[in-house]
Amino acid sequence: MSDDHDHDHHHHLRESETYYAARTKALESLFREKGLIGTDTVDRVINFFEHEMGPFNGAKVVAKAWTDPAFKGRLLADANKAIAELGMRDGIEGENLKVVENVPGTHNVVCCTLCSCWPWPLLGLPPYWFKDPVFRARVVREPRGVLSDFGVTLPEESKIEIWDSSAQVRYFVIPERPAGTDGWTEEKLAALVSTEAMQGLGLATA
Amino acid sequence: MKVQHYLGGIENLGPVDVEKRVFVEPWEAQLFAVHTTMMGTGIWAWPDLRVLAESMNPLDYFKYRYYIKWLGGMCKFLISRNYISEKELEAKTRYYLENPDAAQPNAGNNDVTERVIEYFYTGANPYRDVAVNPIFKVGDTVRVKDMPPVVHTRLPGYLRNRIGVVETVYKGAYLYADNVPTDGICTAQPVYLVKFKTRDLWDDIPDKGDVLYNDCFEVYLEAA
Repeated sequence: MSDDHDHDHHHHLRESETYYAARTKALESLFREKGLIGTDTVDRVINFFEHEMGPFNGAKVVAKAWTDPAFKGRLLADANKAIAELGMRDGIEGENLKVVENVPGTHNVVCCTLCSCWPWPLLGLPPYWFKDPVFRARVVREPRGVLSDFGVTLPEESKIEIWDSSAQVRYFVIPERPAGTDGWTEEKLAALVSTEAMQGLGLATA
Repeated sequence: MKVQHYLGGIENLGPVDVEKRVFVEPWEAQLFAVHTTMMGTGIWAWPDLRVLAESMNPLDYFKYRYYIKWLGGMCKFLISRNYISEKELEAKTRYYLENPDAAQPNAGNNDVTERVIEYFYTGANPYRDVAVNPIFKVGDTVRVKDMPPVVHTRLPGYLRNRIGVVETVYKGAYLYADNVPTDGICTAQPVYLVKFKTRDLWDDIPDKGDVLYNDCFEVYLEAA
């Protein structure tokens, strides 16, 4: 009986946030002692994805594509080459980027049913929804139901193109430019573009 | 059969958890940084992590949050490869449970930091510039093979036995991995973008004219 109790207690403890936090601290601490990580690595990595590789890159690309049709053409043809024009570097989880465009009547949705493939150079790290097994299970079979969970309703006649990433390519969506934004600066336009919209799970709105 | 290989198309799951944050607990960011350090210094790569995720009890796979699964996988891998011992991990964990505000040891190798950041920009392109003769061409009708179940695959289960059309033949060859057991993707080979009508994948869904694209390694395809 007391063994059972101890076991339950142990099990419960091992499934708490306190335990996960301690276990993670233990890992970093062992890495430090063994010289496998630097004293500043964790802070630098977190900072990198807050300021250097994040959805602000993708939003900048979308704003440029909305305002410069020639750039958009080059982006759709060879995304890795086109983003370099903006001084942006590609890299991990984005060595082979493919950009697709939402137009009236055709809406693109990106997923990764096997894991969490995501275009890091343009969007940083994937949010929780993208990794949710429920999202991954449902989006391929019932994309409209999933879009409705995100508060998105498409026009009745719209067709959906779903991109399930499982090999080398990482997909990125140019959302439709919202009406009433003629003459807006790229900076102002970029602020309309959410992470979700750049994977087809949201719309850009003004 | 592994549920993790067959997620796409499962019904009756209820609403998606639309959580837009990347990390929901501070430890997740710290864990992620340790993971990228492992990636950037060659301790492991994505396939190692995916093998562990796919070997989980499927009910646990659904039950545990993303980074909780990573934590378990990372600890298991590091112990099995002797980077750390279970004993020292347990002792350190106990220490931080008892001293949650204790600082990290003032030790480490700061050369690692720049190496990891540079790795984010260089990446690890699976492209291989080797001569290949792709079996299929654009417009060919192909059937996805029902590959034998293995430890690790990049073939979504719902595509097995389904018929699609080659949309793109990617230039050159791609190597998925050469250090984990897979169903034939440990050699560099052509990859094809294949287009499927979703009604051909599930004949009981409303016909809206939707299509689904997937990048298929050549070994997964046969002529239809």
